[in-house]
Amino acid sequence: MHRFSNAAIAAVTVVAFGSGAWLVRSGAEAHAPPQPSAAQSRADAHADRPAATPLPPSLPDRVRIPSIRVDAPLTGLGLTPQGGLDVPPASRRNLAGWYAGGATPGERGTAIVVGHVDNADGPAVFFRLGALEKADTIEISRRDGTVAVFSVDAVEVYDAHDFPDEKVYGASHEAELRVITCGGGYSEATGYRGNVVVFAHLASGG
Amino acid sequence: MRTGRLLTGTALALAAAGLPVAPAYAYAFGEDTGALEVYPSTVAPGAEVTVNTAKCGADGAMKGDASAVGAGAFTLTPSTHERNAVGRFRVPPSAQPGTYEIVARCSSGTRLTGDLRVALAPRAGAEKAADEQTHPRGSVKTGVGGPLGPDPVQTAAGVAALAVAAAGGTWLLHRRARGDGI
Repeated sequence: MHRFSNAAIAAVTVVAFGSGAWLVRSGAEAHAPPQPSAAQSRADAHADRPAATPLPPSLPDRVRIPSIRVDAPLTGLGLTPQGGLDVPPASRRNLAGWYAGGATPGERGTAIVVGHVDNADGPAVFFRLGALEKADTIEISRRDGTVAVFSVDAVEVYDAHDFPDEKVYGASHEAELRVITCGGGYSEATGYRGNVVVFAHLASGG
Repeated sequence: MRTGRLLTGTALALAAAGLPVAPAYAYAFGEDTGALEVYPSTVAPGAEVTVNTAKCGADGAMKGDASAVGAGAFTLTPSTHERNAVGRFRVPPSAQPGTYEIVARCSSGTRLTGDLRVALAPRAGAEKAADEQTHPRGSVKTGVGGPLGPDPVQTAAGVAALAVAAAGGTWLLHRRARGDGI
């Protein structure tokens, strides 16, 4: 009898210790969105880029990023009166947007996709964007039935006060993609300090 | 939304023309989808669009409505040699890609519609167009960050579980010290 209750108590102790440690650890940490490491930076981008031939223009429907389990519809976005990029409605947690005044994803030029890292209820569509790594794939399905598959070249963090517009939004002669969300540290007074920006090029499409 | 605007527009047009709204007219107010030729049917923001139709015959000026795409009202005037009425409007540079319904109304009341598709920047000379595109500026506001600090509920649950573990461990050590064995 003693033997049995001792074993039970030992088991409960072990389980309680393990789950308690996990809860305390993840409760303190898991709520900050992941940020890219220096190894994902553009600086070590090398030139092995078998760029695919650009596709004809076609409006995008969905974005999928298998490595961080993103699968979200895309809405068209314009510019704010200040010339900044508009964002999708924050209330829709799993909705991303694309800049409809620029190239469509897969055609020649720089296509831009943005989404929220979080909203008032918690993590949103691009919460884990900062965890992407070089050579991960981003798929964009388009209205003409094709899927533009992009390969990640770099994942960067830029401060809002020193945002490299030309590097991020500038024109390109190849089919490129930028995926943007908030990041770069958070302070209660000013919110997120900047943006996580994923640079990718068209790897295949059809 | 668009239907609402169209209905309002219809009501206003009727009021302006002083036409009695009688059931007898309802039939004449039939809708002729696609009867309005829109050329080009796919355009870039900022482009000029020509609209024409022969459906109204030579019955004078027609009212056109391109407010769905943000271009407002326009007038179609009859051309002399064909029984065509022709009108023009310019798609605003700020127009978003999409398909929009362009409406015209004969003076008899018949409503004609045609689709206009707005696509992205001009396709001829894509590289030139790419240079002329307006690029966004600055960072984007894509997060609130408010609730993303340490999760107090989860942390409290963890602390409680650790307390249980501590109690269990203490009890077991205590028994062992008494020589009860495990």
